Amino acid sequence: VTLRITGGRVYDPANGVAGDQRDVCLSAGKVVEEVPEGAARIDARGMVVMPGGVDIHAHIAGPAVNAARRLAPEEHRADVHDRSAVMRSGTGGTVPSTFVTGYRYALLGYTTVVEAAAPPLAARHVLAELRDTPMIDAAFLVLLGNNVALFDLIRRDPARVRDAVAWWLEATGGYGVKLVNAGGVERWKRGRGDVTSLDDEVAGVTPRQVIEAIAGAVHELELPHPVHVHCSNLGVAGNWRTTLDTLHTLEGRRAHLAHLQFHAYGGRPGGRLRSRAPDLAEYLGAHPEFSADVGQVMFGPATTMTADAPVSERLRDVTGGKWVNADTEVETGCGIVPFTYREKNYVHALQWGIGLELFLLSRDPWRLVLSTDHPNGGSFLSYPRLIRLLMDRDFRNDQLRRANKRAIQRTVLLDDLDREYTLEEIAIVTRAGPARLLGLRDKGHLGAGADADVTIYDERADREEMFATPRYVIKGGRVIVRDGELVEALAGDLLRVEAPYDPAVDDVLRDRFEERYSVQFDSYPVCEPWLLEPARRVAAGRPG
Amino acid sequence: MPSPERAGAARHRSATCGGCGLVCDDITAVVGDDGGLERLIRTCPLGDAWFAQRAGPRPPAARVDGREAGVEAALDEAAAILGRARAPLVYGLGQTSCEAQRAAVALAEAIGAVIDPAGPLLDGASGLASTARGSSTATLGEVRDRAEIVMVWRADPVATHPRLLERLRLPEAGRALVVVDARRTATAAQADTFVELAADLALEALSTLRAHVRGSAVVPVAGLEPLGDLAARLRGSRNVAILHHLPGHVEALALHALVRDLFGVTHAVALTLRHEANAAGAENVLAWQTGYPAAVGFATGHPRASPGELAGAAVLARGDADAALVVGSDPLAHLPPPAAERLRAIPVVSVDARSTATADAARVAFTTGAAGVHRPGVAHRLDGVPVPLRAVLTSSRPSDEEVLAAIAERVARPGEDAA
Repeated sequence: VTLRITGGRVYDPANGVAGDQRDVCLSAGKVVEEVPEGAARIDARGMVVMPGGVDIHAHIAGPAVNAARRLAPEEHRADVHDRSAVMRSGTGGTVPSTFVTGYRYALLGYTTVVEAAAPPLAARHVLAELRDTPMIDAAFLVLLGNNVALFDLIRRDPARVRDAVAWWLEATGGYGVKLVNAGGVERWKRGRGDVTSLDDEVAGVTPRQVIEAIAGAVHELELPHPVHVHCSNLGVAGNWRTTLDTLHTLEGRRAHLAHLQFHAYGGRPGGRLRSRAPDLAEYLGAHPEFSADVGQVMFGPATTMTADAPVSERLRDVTGGKWVNADTEVETGCGIVPFTYREKNYVHALQWGIGLELFLLSRDPWRLVLSTDHPNGGSFLSYPRLIRLLMDRDFRNDQLRRANKRAIQRTVLLDDLDREYTLEEIAIVTRAGPARLLGLRDKGHLGAGADADVTIYDERADREEMFATPRYVIKGGRVIVRDGELVEALAGDLLRVEAPYDPAVDDVLRDRFEERYSVQFDSYPVCEPWLLEPARRVAAGRPG
Repeated sequence: MPSPERAGAARHRSATCGGCGLVCDDITAVVGDDGGLERLIRTCPLGDAWFAQRAGPRPPAARVDGREAGVEAALDEAAAILGRARAPLVYGLGQTSCEAQRAAVALAEAIGAVIDPAGPLLDGASGLASTARGSSTATLGEVRDRAEIVMVWRADPVATHPRLLERLRLPEAGRALVVVDARRTATAAQADTFVELAADLALEALSTLRAHVRGSAVVPVAGLEPLGDLAARLRGSRNVAILHHLPGHVEALALHALVRDLFGVTHAVALTLRHEANAAGAENVLAWQTGYPAAVGFATGHPRASPGELAGAAVLARGDADAALVVGSDPLAHLPPPAAERLRAIPVVSVDARSTATADAARVAFTTGAAGVHRPGVAHRLDGVPVPLRAVLTSSRPSDEEVLAAIAERVARPGEDAA
């Protein structure tokens, strides 16, 4: 299949193209230099052409997501999706069913999504849901920050940690490594409360040791995506110090911080939140080895779901409503609380403002990329509105005036922060940047050899409308959205890492398994081809 | 053909048991020279029966009206029944793999059916309570390694989940097994503490226990005196796990409220002792594909859930279903009489690896290659952990998943002659 997209304004920041009118040629699922005369054409005059969107941090598949679905019959009833000639039916809301998740990402122009928190023990469940999530290529990050078998290795046999990390990735089909409140969840599961500092003791290690050991292992393995860190003390006043302490601990290695907004709070512990976004934006700007996604909150309904179960326990006491807690042996916790962010609420408005501060003070869009931590800060369906907030100062100021005044006064948003993101910067924070941070060299750009994942928007003054309804979306060279309608359903690939390790680690782990897990060591690694394929391997190691 | 030495070495095969919701994956199946199952290591009586039902003599792969039929002809007949039904019901799903469950949901959607797992009927109402309020749960390894008090609430796992106590390493010094039940069950016989509780006081007991835990005023009820001490023990423990099998929705909500309040004092979780091996998987697959775990109707072109109205037993009892597809389940053995009566009156397609009363009475019955015996697959244990089912024997029979996919394919192109 060959296709020429002609006459559009192309935004391909990875290749230095910023709005030039040029053709993009696709053949056999890849971007190519030229296609023969007579190839099919899309007339993209008056349109904006970008690589397919890449979501670096979302929660779309696995036991936590599914437990959240089961909590939300009201949302599902109000947002149904009919079966059609090409689509399965389903339901939406903040936690859509799997098929609808895939369709809606595609309709939004996103073609690659990272599930950011998979319990390794539940890998088969995560993979089975991804198999039922069409349209997108998907990768997932495995939770290793509260793994007591790894803690044991860190204490007794630290030289093996690197092989063990690679083993876990291979055993699950994972792409990268996630730390969530390292040590804190395990400490809380032991009934000793959450950690407050990186030097609290948990099972013979400290959060700092865990972060150092696992970040070090990821660094040495040269995984395509650096360690992906959800810092401790999420949501707590004064937590920016923990965030900085985490970054100091990581210095010298690459790292990605998840949903930085939730970790950018000043104020005294137990007191009112303040914004420390300017300090963190400054620090991030000065440290090229670090990156983050924002985790913007958007006013309206959300579902908080996190492996950081102590946070959910605090939140349930705020809402008094539905709450799920689910402890996974050896590895992690999980908490879910449906939540609504309200613009008149001081805390919610400040969170919203801090996210915007981070975006607007960011010096390098390649390293501070867009997320709402879907569905924690809001649904991925709110990305177009977020883009408008970034691109349209008048719209933003209008929204600022409607939000809680005391909260907004605590930010620098009213201090002539009149930056407006350009289309090039939006292309960076929604595709080129995330793809680069993930080490997905075939994604997020339109140079020859890239995957033929392309989104074409009608150029419109209302950026929310423009980004909410792409005119065309092309995945692997096939037109899947035409005139805003989904016209073809297809299965995406699993993106998994390939990181070699010493097989001798099997025996080291086997002993630790029989003691701790309630499944057999030999049952643990996923081997079912229908769960793992079709997959694409991304090799660890420096790009050659 | 493997060489004799290799065949000898390969006779011991790792296996997973589907005999109950524990889905023990530490079983060894010893395969005889004739390719049949010679013996099993580490199974319990339920496990032995589970393997025997699938590895032993069984009806032919396909039957129509009780008579042996070719698989293709039976598929055509099944597709014809389901394709022309105006209000089909898809029911069961607890004793098959997630892969087959996935195919069953797809087929239910394609034919506009109501689909309902048997789990909510067999395992009680805790699922509804969890949709309404949430839940606090844990995997078995967490309960084994952390629960200082394991409280079995009106259930008898020694009979229904024979290896549960072994897998939770109970009894063990420093940990207590507390059983609350109306009679001294086999499980109670092994308990450190047995609290006898009249069945009709179950709801009052949960409220009373909760009041004690919260420290609020307690209305004295005769027969519930021991609960004050029990509440004090729960409060004083660092980690509590409640294992239950609750029949009623109100009782399930009360238990949830207790766990939630206990969680403010100590770490507390609750687990439903699901009977069927993949009951949890059925609800999970349905939830991820539709947004709802049970009682889902596709008649309007999208999923609509209504637990009272669209529960399989209710649909049947009202006389609303005009055909049924039963997968991995024996509803004639467990449905209430009015529902069972209706099921006998309508054309039924049964897809099951075992011989069941429902299959024997069905218009079309497929007796399939079993996930966990002849075919690989995945089951979600009662705590939600996905466990691999392994093929230890060979069979030329199609699997549940293959039968369902083949029916779906025929339903999708009804005009064509399958021959």
